[in-house]
Amino acid sequence: MDIPSLLRKEALWSRHRLVTLLFLLLILPAFFAATTAAFGTVIPEDAPVGVVAENESVTEDEIALVEGGLTLFAEPRVYENASTARRALHREQVYAVLEVPPGLYDEGARNATFTLIVDGSMVPFEQPSKAIQGIAGGYLDREFDADVTVRREVVGGTHSLSEYLLPVFLLGIVMLFAFTYLPYNLARERDVLDRLLVESSLDAVVATKIGYFAVLMLIPTVAFGAAAASLNYSVTLFVPGAIAVLLLTFVYLAAISTSIMILTNFDTVGRFLNVAVLLAAITFSNLVYPVGFFSSVRREIARLVPLHYSMIVTRSLTLKDTSPALYGDYVLGLVGFTVVTLLVLKLSIERYKRTI
Amino acid sequence: MTRTADDDHRNDHDPILELHAVSKSYGDVTALSGVDLSVAPGTIHALVGPNGSGKTTLFRIALGLTRPSSGTVDAPVEGIGPGFQRANFYRDLTVAENLDVFAALTGAEDEAWREEICSTLRLDRVRDRRAGDLSGGFGKKLDLALALLNRSPVVCLDEPMGDLDDVSKANLLDLLADYRDEGHAVVVSTHHLGAFADVIDHLTVLHDGEVLLDDPRGAIDLGDHDSLQDLYVARSLAADRGSTGDT
Repeated sequence: MDIPSLLRKEALWSRHRLVTLLFLLLILPAFFAATTAAFGTVIPEDAPVGVVAENESVTEDEIALVEGGLTLFAEPRVYENASTARRALHREQVYAVLEVPPGLYDEGARNATFTLIVDGSMVPFEQPSKAIQGIAGGYLDREFDADVTVRREVVGGTHSLSEYLLPVFLLGIVMLFAFTYLPYNLARERDVLDRLLVESSLDAVVATKIGYFAVLMLIPTVAFGAAAASLNYSVTLFVPGAIAVLLLTFVYLAAISTSIMILTNFDTVGRFLNVAVLLAAITFSNLVYPVGFFSSVRREIARLVPLHYSMIVTRSLTLKDTSPALYGDYVLGLVGFTVVTLLVLKLSIERYKRTI
Repeated sequence: MTRTADDDHRNDHDPILELHAVSKSYGDVTALSGVDLSVAPGTIHALVGPNGSGKTTLFRIALGLTRPSSGTVDAPVEGIGPGFQRANFYRDLTVAENLDVFAALTGAEDEAWREEICSTLRLDRVRDRRAGDLSGGFGKKLDLALALLNRSPVVCLDEPMGDLDDVSKANLLDLLADYRDEGHAVVVSTHHLGAFADVIDHLTVLHDGEVLLDDPRGAIDLGDHDSLQDLYVARSLAADRGSTGDT
């Protein structure tokens, strides 16, 4: 067989895989090219920063002036009191809280000390927060008669970047498994699907598989925990709340990837689609860098992605000494999303049964 | 529709598997048109027909794998042992592991029966081999073993002779005859009617999705034909000529 004949064979083969090839060569590249627009800003020019009065003597005018000044280099959010501001800090709604001292407009006021509170576990924000401290200090000193200093206070234990990345990578492993190995495993199941459908049911097969692999997700958790212990990292991975969220995350990701496989009749195109969803999820859920590092569009997108909240809760419970109750609404949202994905999975199974 | 436990008051001679007026269309293409099939216990029921006559579609409907466009299926509550034209098993598992998995899944606890199947089909020698590495013949044998494993009251085997050597074919016929003699029903879809000629009890011939012949073996008049195979071929050719207007 000569080269033209082989090329003709390739062309014929491509014609039979036109949808897959179009997806890989046209739609996916176009999608990623379009998404580059969302990477407009990677330096936290408008990171969310909380503004709160140090005590009740601080006037609204003082707060308003500080808030107005912060808009030049951050996205200020005013909080009623210190506890709500700290709550927002721990929930990654803001990456720093600026406490405003009283008496800024008092005649004869000589010194005023602002406190910029940052979370020690938010490692990527360490340097940006120092920059904000400097910029804010200069601006506020010009605005007020008093000599203004901005003190930087780190709450919670400080962590290294390695420690910060540990829960990120753990969630990454969960995502990788859900969107690559599970679809591969399901595609292999196609060989025996007819027998399984007669001897059992697709519902039972899928439920067992997801449950089994969810339990397997404890293995990388143990592996990461052992690595953290041997490296003397200050990370606690074996927190029941964090493990529960990790497993919940796997379940909803697995429900999505399995639905895709079933809707594509366990075909190769389903595996490609799952990889595309994985890449999109990594891109838009802002797993590594806080959302405040990115453009407002991407920030809004990230806040719509459940993985973003899975990451916040997992990271917070493993790096910080905070109560799981602080993230109750996040977890509730994740449970709700999991129920929705399982319903979609059920519907895709019913559709499959109707079409065979 | 599968018969429920409450409905299951059949006598020993009542059909174990019945399809009533089953039709199936894929768009404009009619695969089956008003097909009735009645399988009695203790019989080997052969289903033959040219390629595209609807045998596999009928099988899949009987197994509950394909929904009929119309008509009903009355299957035993204990289930049907399925044997597929294209071998259906876990290729990443060994032969023994496949047998273990499906024995557990179907509740097949009769170890002696399992050993008998493996011995008759000569699967012993490849017991620890990865199923994906089996030859076509051994793959077919494993598929047959999985179909028979649970001693279902009826097994439906699609092309059970495919890829088998002559010795294995003879062994399989003996095994199926014994299975039939125990009171089970065996439905075989095959292109090798001659190979089954000595053991079948009932013959159904499908042609273009319709039943051309459906009679117990004893009621079939061979006429001028030497064998069931000849009769089937002659009837099918005649039906072909009839459908094309060729006299």
